[in-house]
Amino acid sequence: MSVTLSRRQAFKAMIGLGGTVTSALLPVTAHAATGAGGKSEEHPAHPIAPADAIAMLYDSTVCTGCKACMPACNEANGLPTDTLLSGGIWDMPMGLNAKTKNIIELYQDPQSDEFAFVKKQCMHCLDPACVTGCPFGSLVKRDLGAVTWNSSLCIGCRYCEVACPFEVPQFQWENWNPKIVKCEFCYDQRLKEDMQPACTAACPTKAVIFGKRTDLLAEAKDRIAATPDKYFENRVYGEHEAGGTQVLYLSSVSFQKLGLPKLGTTSIGHYATKVTSVIYKWLAGPALVAGVFGFFIRRNWERHEAERHEHEEKTGFPDQL
Amino acid sequence: MNITEPTQDKRGTTLINHWQCGVPVTTGPVLTPFLLLLIGLAALGLGLAVLRFFSPLGPFSAMNDVYAWGIWKTFNVMTLTALGSGPLALGIAAWVFNRQKLHVVMRTALVSGFLFYATGLIALGFDVGRPWNFYSALMPWRWNSESAMLEISICMPLYCAVFLSFEILPLILERVYYTANDRSRALLCRVAPIIRKVYPFVIIGAYVIPLMHQSSLGGLLLLAGTKINPLWQSPVMPLLYLIAAVFCGLGFTIFLLMIVCLRYARDLDAAVLAELANLLSGTCFVFLTIRVGDLIWRQQLLAAFAFDKMSLLFLFESAMILAPALALRFRRVRETPRALLNMSAVACLGGMLYRFIPTSIAYQPLRSTAYFPSAPELVMAAGYIALGSAAFVLAVNYFAVLPGEASAWDHAYRPFGWPRKAAQTSIAIQVPSTVAQERAI
Repeated sequence: MSVTLSRRQAFKAMIGLGGTVTSALLPVTAHAATGAGGKSEEHPAHPIAPADAIAMLYDSTVCTGCKACMPACNEANGLPTDTLLSGGIWDMPMGLNAKTKNIIELYQDPQSDEFAFVKKQCMHCLDPACVTGCPFGSLVKRDLGAVTWNSSLCIGCRYCEVACPFEVPQFQWENWNPKIVKCEFCYDQRLKEDMQPACTAACPTKAVIFGKRTDLLAEAKDRIAATPDKYFENRVYGEHEAGGTQVLYLSSVSFQKLGLPKLGTTSIGHYATKVTSVIYKWLAGPALVAGVFGFFIRRNWERHEAERHEHEEKTGFPDQL
Repeated sequence: MNITEPTQDKRGTTLINHWQCGVPVTTGPVLTPFLLLLIGLAALGLGLAVLRFFSPLGPFSAMNDVYAWGIWKTFNVMTLTALGSGPLALGIAAWVFNRQKLHVVMRTALVSGFLFYATGLIALGFDVGRPWNFYSALMPWRWNSESAMLEISICMPLYCAVFLSFEILPLILERVYYTANDRSRALLCRVAPIIRKVYPFVIIGAYVIPLMHQSSLGGLLLLAGTKINPLWQSPVMPLLYLIAAVFCGLGFTIFLLMIVCLRYARDLDAAVLAELANLLSGTCFVFLTIRVGDLIWRQQLLAAFAFDKMSLLFLFESAMILAPALALRFRRVRETPRALLNMSAVACLGGMLYRFIPTSIAYQPLRSTAYFPSAPELVMAAGYIALGSAAFVLAVNYFAVLPGEASAWDHAYRPFGWPRKAAQTSIAIQVPSTVAQERAI
């Protein structure tokens, strides 16, 4: 019995088979490489802060609500004052907005006399969702862990606003050349010159302090240990939230009452990319699908062409593609 | 128009199998009041869009920093491109799974899909705040390869501008062939074999790329995390978005075919429609199986039947998908044009609901802010849809898009000449076409 396979067909079959097998194996090897080492994984479920990671620790029980940090932030970042509510007299933002990167908000229970201040700004996540989503890398996590925005790469898609669990990035809706406004840890303004951020420098009561993340985490845990029942749930918000953030909170009232979302401990970037990063590794998944499709399309195409010639001979009408 | 003898099926429904090739509409005036209305609406929407380009987004939309994505993204792109996935669904069925019957309706799916994508991309272009920075798409070293947004912002324009355009190229060349002089005809005769040569290779890309970006549309929402109600937020969202695109594409192709056949008094083809209905029902079942399986896996089944607002929304959406899935299992329903039309419309609405809800109604951020599209936003969104619809009406009049009987198209006659057609047909055709309409449905 002879094998009726021309040399050309044999080559084709070899290339086709080889391509399919390679593309089937690639994701497996890619997965093995990232899974075994652990270090090379781009979005681990629980990212570990690098040794030089900086942080802010905000203690709501110490904050007096003097808002000294707000003009300091505006001055350092060259932001205009938001005087909409005060009738043009003083800076009075309603929340983080296109003119406000940092704000002190007041939580007050309408029934009891419970109240607390909370400082809002970018949380500088260890694995930021905004950086994961930003299509052209306009938002990046810089050294020391500051998350900054680059105007020349941003297309204004506002995916960062959808992705951020803390609703921090703000878009300039009233600007023809809109920018994304968010706290950048004073990276270009002060951090580069070895100065601490404007808000921590301005705080008179040391309610918000600046330092290495490991040091501040230890400091926060010391405070909890010193006064066991003072702090809510005896824990630091930001230690594990969304994989960990570089702004840490201590509070005597529930974090959710302060407007800090209840989040899991897994990094959002990990949740969003754990499957796709395997499928799209070296485009192996699409290549595999293309290989399989190509095989069947080729086969059906040849059948179709045979039928077409037959049809055109029979009817005289040209076949449409 | 050559009217063929209707054949009756076993139960006496008047249906005939006479879709053989794409045939242009050569009856009736082109510029109807309805088309003028569509063009007017499209002009209004595009005019506003041009104004918007010279103005910030603020005055033109009700979007805010909590609901940063308005209906241009969530409806015109994320929802309507599902309806425009006909070329993907039908193409894979026809070329990969060898459903030969579907080749004849590919052109209808292709033109509608192209227009959904093109208008969606126009909507995106006027929605983004800094479009002038989009040249980064040509610089791979700037790509953030892990971003679903990158995948969409590159693959969608690529698919529309290269792959869909290539697939509808034969349609345009065919028209040129019939209207051009002999030298151009000779040139086209040389081009045609080249197109046939590369066609099977290009369509591989035309099916792989929408598989990628239609699932990435669901992948976009993964990063929104806890902002989206857990009934919708799920790791299988990319897969469900893709399957929703497939059955919406199938459902909308059925719906569109039946509507245009009714409008232009074409005969229906029971075999092709039944084939499509069969596929539609099957993909709806696949979707629901994964949807329910996912809810069980994530232990959200109780929340799904809590009968609060979100649960009712979920049940409504699922019922809209379950109804056609069940109904189209019955041959009697598949072969009754009225039921098939209704069921395909219901399936489309169900799929659109699934794609729209997590971006808007079930999108529940922490800060209590409301979003409802403003008037210019709505007019622009409607304008983009009107633009696509008007273009489709013009396309079926000037190109061989809609399926019909081969004998209905006299190939020796130049069928698309506007003045001749307007002069010849505008008076005579009105009466027989209404008669034929009644017969067709």
